[in-house]
Amino acid sequence: MAQHILSAFDRDLESIQAMVVKMGGLVEAQLVDAAHALDTRDEELADSVRKRDKAVDALEEQINEEAARLIALRAPAASDLRVALSVIKIAGNLERVGDYSKNMAKRTKVLLQMPTINGSTGAMRRMAQAVEGMLKDAIDSYIQRDDKLAADVRARDIEIDQMYNALFREFLTYMLEDPRNITACMHLHFIAKNIERMGDLATSIAEQVIYLVTGEIPDDERPKSDSVTLANHPEV
Amino acid sequence: MNDMRLMERVVDDTRIKISAKDVQVWYGDSHAIKDVNIDILDKTVTAFIGPSGCGKSTFLRTLNRMNDTIPICRVEGEILLDGENIYDRKVDPVQLRARVGMVFQKPNPFPKSIYDNVAYGPRIHGLTRNKAELDEVVESALKKAALWKEVKDRLTAPGTGLSGGQQQRLCIARAVATSPEVLLMDEPCSALDPIATAQVEELIDELRENFSVVIVTHSMQQAARVSQKTAFFHMGNLVEYGDTTQIFTKPSDPRTESYITGRIG
Repeated sequence: MAQHILSAFDRDLESIQAMVVKMGGLVEAQLVDAAHALDTRDEELADSVRKRDKAVDALEEQINEEAARLIALRAPAASDLRVALSVIKIAGNLERVGDYSKNMAKRTKVLLQMPTINGSTGAMRRMAQAVEGMLKDAIDSYIQRDDKLAADVRARDIEIDQMYNALFREFLTYMLEDPRNITACMHLHFIAKNIERMGDLATSIAEQVIYLVTGEIPDDERPKSDSVTLANHPEV
Repeated sequence: MNDMRLMERVVDDTRIKISAKDVQVWYGDSHAIKDVNIDILDKTVTAFIGPSGCGKSTFLRTLNRMNDTIPICRVEGEILLDGENIYDRKVDPVQLRARVGMVFQKPNPFPKSIYDNVAYGPRIHGLTRNKAELDEVVESALKKAALWKEVKDRLTAPGTGLSGGQQQRLCIARAVATSPEVLLMDEPCSALDPIATAQVEELIDELRENFSVVIVTHSMQQAARVSQKTAFFHMGNLVEYGDTTQIFTKPSDPRTESYITGRIG
């Protein structure tokens, strides 16, 4: 798109965009590291994830301030307005992903005090990797203004839901097998649920990208896998 | 509450006040308005926006035949006011301008008293029967124009002695006094301070209950604030016409987008 007549307006927009890209990079690293720490039982890495969350929060605040300033001083319209609105939401979503990563690191530290639950690690790793991929593509689709890639991210969320449902069933089985597994399984289940939520947040970012590019929020119902029915475990 | 705000913005697309069909305007050899088709709605504020020289003021002036006064100006096409072509030979431009009032960019009060400025229109059109009625019309027009409080004690003072902003509101009062059906405003706030601007904008919003208001403005924020419909003109063409919300959030033409976002386009 052509430049603004007022070049300071372009500089303001660019600086907000740069902050969102930076925040996206930080949060992506947080998720990758938190998943890796869980996978390899790496306490040091888990600690580092917890410490780095502050930087993510600070960036969100900064992005919101800059967006508010842009709205107040420049009265953006049309696509400029959509940038201002979408960065606020995207920053909020990224901040939540950061929080869930931190929570994952916290639970990893607790899990280190307990024996490993064999069997679930592979599935957890695959699920985390799938969400990492979604988050990366969601951020890339924002940088490249690629609504097709964003639509692809949105379509992939159902796979995450299915992985989570499978894990839910698996944890139930372990807990029924041996009540001593309950504490660890509860923590693992929360982590799995958080990863599933991060998939939703990546989807929400992708939806913001679609809004940014096309001006419309996709309103067709996304395919969802219903997890409620799974509460009726056959043996319960 | 939310629904009420939404309701306020809803306009009835079926009540057309002015319908322009294939309108062309030439100033000598220069083609100032090219093939403009637009339906201006009743009880709605319509904003014309566009860069200088795009034809928005020219088009506005065709709506009450102000261009008749320019010898080299030629208008083609039809402009229907309530279904009647205003360029028809049997239409009297003076009567037309009582129905389609106008406020200009620069305040131009008559060299008469404040009272007579406002009373002029109702008098020549014989709209009142006696002095008491005329007093009432003058007071109500001055109140509508948010000027009453400032001038009520000096109605006999000359209108030209008022400040620029007051003069403009006097001109609005003068236009409102004949109870026009359509009010055309060409940059009515460019000489006003922000407070007087807000008062005029509030007035425009009130006028919408009874009239159709068409406003030409260079302030896009003003167009966004006061209008329900916006038309974007560019180089004599009507590029885009739609709901103001749509024009300012999701314009469909790239030229509109460039203009309202302040880009080089």
